[in-house]
Amino acid sequence: MIKLFKLITALSIAGPFMSSAQGYQVNLQGQVQQGMGGAGTGYIADAATLFFNPGGASFLRGNSANVGVSPTISKGIFLDKNTNQSYTTNSPVSFPFAVYGTFEVKDSSKLKLGLAIYTPFGSTVEWEDGWAGRFVLTRLQLRTVFLQPTVSYKINEKIGIGLGLIAASGQVNLQRDLPVVDAAGNYGHAELKGTAQGFGFNAGIYYQPVKKFSIGLSYRSQVNMKIDAGDATFKVPFVLGTSFPNGRFTSELPLPQVATIGFAFKPNDQLTLALDVNYVGWKAYDTLAFDYATNTSVLSDTKSARNYENTVAFRLGAQYNVNSKFSARIGCAYALSPVQDGYVTPETPDADRINFTLGLGYLVTKNFGLNASFLFTTFKRSGNNIETNINGTYKTNVTVPGISVFYNF
Amino acid sequence: MQHRSFKISVFALSVFVLFSCKPKLDAPAVDAGKLDVSKYVAFGNSITSGYADGALYYDAQMVSYPNLLAQQFELIGGGEFKQPLMPMSSVGYGGAGNSRYALGLVTDCNNVTSLSPKTGPGDFNALGGIATEGPFNNMGMPGAKAITSIYPGYGNPANGLGKYNPFFTRILEVSEYGNASMLAKAAAQKPTFFSLFIGNNDVLSYALAGGAADSVTPSGGAPGTGFDATIDLIISTLSANGAKGVIANIPDITNLPYFTLVPYNGLLLDSAKAAALNAIPVYATVGLKFTPGNNPFLVHDKSLPAFFNIRKMKQGELVLLSTPQDSIKCFGLGSVAAFHNRHVLDEAEIAKIQGAIHSYNNKLKAVADEKGFAFVDVNAFMAKCKKGILYNGVTINTTFVSGGAFSLDGIHLTPIGNALLANEFIKAINSTYGSNIPQVEVTKYKGVTFP
Repeated sequence: MIKLFKLITALSIAGPFMSSAQGYQVNLQGQVQQGMGGAGTGYIADAATLFFNPGGASFLRGNSANVGVSPTISKGIFLDKNTNQSYTTNSPVSFPFAVYGTFEVKDSSKLKLGLAIYTPFGSTVEWEDGWAGRFVLTRLQLRTVFLQPTVSYKINEKIGIGLGLIAASGQVNLQRDLPVVDAAGNYGHAELKGTAQGFGFNAGIYYQPVKKFSIGLSYRSQVNMKIDAGDATFKVPFVLGTSFPNGRFTSELPLPQVATIGFAFKPNDQLTLALDVNYVGWKAYDTLAFDYATNTSVLSDTKSARNYENTVAFRLGAQYNVNSKFSARIGCAYALSPVQDGYVTPETPDADRINFTLGLGYLVTKNFGLNASFLFTTFKRSGNNIETNINGTYKTNVTVPGISVFYNF
Repeated sequence: MQHRSFKISVFALSVFVLFSCKPKLDAPAVDAGKLDVSKYVAFGNSITSGYADGALYYDAQMVSYPNLLAQQFELIGGGEFKQPLMPMSSVGYGGAGNSRYALGLVTDCNNVTSLSPKTGPGDFNALGGIATEGPFNNMGMPGAKAITSIYPGYGNPANGLGKYNPFFTRILEVSEYGNASMLAKAAAQKPTFFSLFIGNNDVLSYALAGGAADSVTPSGGAPGTGFDATIDLIISTLSANGAKGVIANIPDITNLPYFTLVPYNGLLLDSAKAAALNAIPVYATVGLKFTPGNNPFLVHDKSLPAFFNIRKMKQGELVLLSTPQDSIKCFGLGSVAAFHNRHVLDEAEIAKIQGAIHSYNNKLKAVADEKGFAFVDVNAFMAKCKKGILYNGVTINTTFVSGGAFSLDGIHLTPIGNALLANEFIKAINSTYGSNIPQVEVTKYKGVTFP
């Protein structure tokens, strides 16, 4: 299992970059839900419900499989307030993915087993060479993959409950230049990379009191990703080699808990309206610390205050079934940033934001279909960072076209 | 039909994605305010010239703070800024006939190899005349004092070795040797804007000699003798055509690594060495006792009775970086043989220097206020730098080599130090003249270069 898991992590070409939600959270787990502003807890759409509300999965009919990818195109710019110079990101397109499978247990229409593999957190940012903040960050790649085997049980025709256990695997690669120069004018460079594991759970309740209205509650626990044996590599002028010894480091990154309440209203057969409200426990991200196995007079352990705040996000969406084959979706989301003034960093130049989403569903055959989604958001944040004195304005445009296929059997 | 509309939708999305959307941010417009920087002349000493690492050389001149200022001035209509550049490949030329220092591995008398500044013979030929390439906007001449900057014949070789400034001679026609002054050469360019950063050497020449030679320029006295009247003359001459200016004050010497790197109590003894020193009869007689660990160095003090005129250095007194380190480590300098006056600045000398800097700075501020010129508090800036200036994640401070602000001579700035200084000028100019000149991108400039 662990082997498979590592393989999956390695296959995720790049983690998502500051995409559709706050901090380094990524809300790109299902194409239907993405098309509807990211709301998916209060209704049952497809196997992605394993992520949004494990309690709802028991209401799915038969067996189903669902595979999707959400290529994330992120373009950022930084305008330095002191110098009027601007710098852009060259971040590669990343490919957060999600794979879901639900299986009916024989002799029981009430019990469903499910497996979900998804990428709920990540960030990839790469700034242009020689940018003004290069001694803080040149490149960050953070990937996480959650593997979530799930049991969902339909208590009666109105209530379902579910629980998934999460095994999380992550990779981090953080790079920055060092302000030491050799005779040829080359600056030093530091690269910290490591893998991390963590565990958690995802639980949910789905309740449909009447045909037209349903409600869901879900809770995904915090997962602490521990890097026990990271590799720190330094490229520095020859004579400084002993001051910057290559070696191990340890670190830890919390992936916050998320509690969600979701509502859905179906006034008729064609229309579904949905609203999710997320509460995200970002306060857990208090400090980013790196503990080097070997310290020297210039290489000491670092502790950087992040002081994230707990936040909420509102996700609103609608689906309209045009005919028996087509459905169209639209949505928006308003997400508050967990990053306080004074703590905005080039790794996560986060801001309050509004996401606009569109979606399209197409049933090719009775059991096989496609869903496309599209997300756009733009956000801007100005200020001076307390820890680094980097002062200016960040602006980021994110575009996420996504596609998934499903097969029911 | 349905397939087609799906295809069209996908196509439309793809197009949207392809052309989406590099974010744009518009910088606030640059603005000259009340400034005319079409002809900028920088007047000063070695710091203005770009001198660094103990020598004047091309790479350091390129990052002189006035050259960095001139690059920013280009955004608001600044003209060409000419500097009397040394040849690009030259090792440079320093005050002691030396080349520029560079860090290298040096093995000391104890056979310990460590990273230290190394130098060699300077490139005297590089000081050949370049008057035809002038006039030069950068009128910073290494070694110039406020008072000497107005001397006619300051670059005249006929004055004899040590009595003329070869860096100034370099920019003169032979016919000008006899009576050209730095001030006259600067004023002749009819600046529309000038910077004045001078007066350091009016105390430094004395301080670098440990108070054993040269003298501190008094505040009072006629132009060419006293600091205040000299400054008045420089300002009135440079601003004669209505030029506006920026005036910088003088940093306290206790912020310069040259005076702070070797601590007063840097005499590190083991018990055998301490016992040996305690056994020296004269030391025993005058009650000098040594203990294992750090001890204050010994220094001659001529205020004490002859033959017994040795005492321990006091906290606050300064050992000069020029004091031979091997002699300290292996040959008993500062212990078996006490430091001489030229090695240290004692309390009285420091008081004299700081008193002079204080009154110079009062004068410079008063003149700036009176004329409505921009004023750069370099003294406050250096004090801040001593604690550390945080810029885009990098802390730059005055610690020798590792701090990044000071070049290997411990007195002049590194490229990144000059960039920070240039920004102090820009901030002062913007706030005085209502201009909006962007600051220099500090992180593009380096500190000390490592091998």
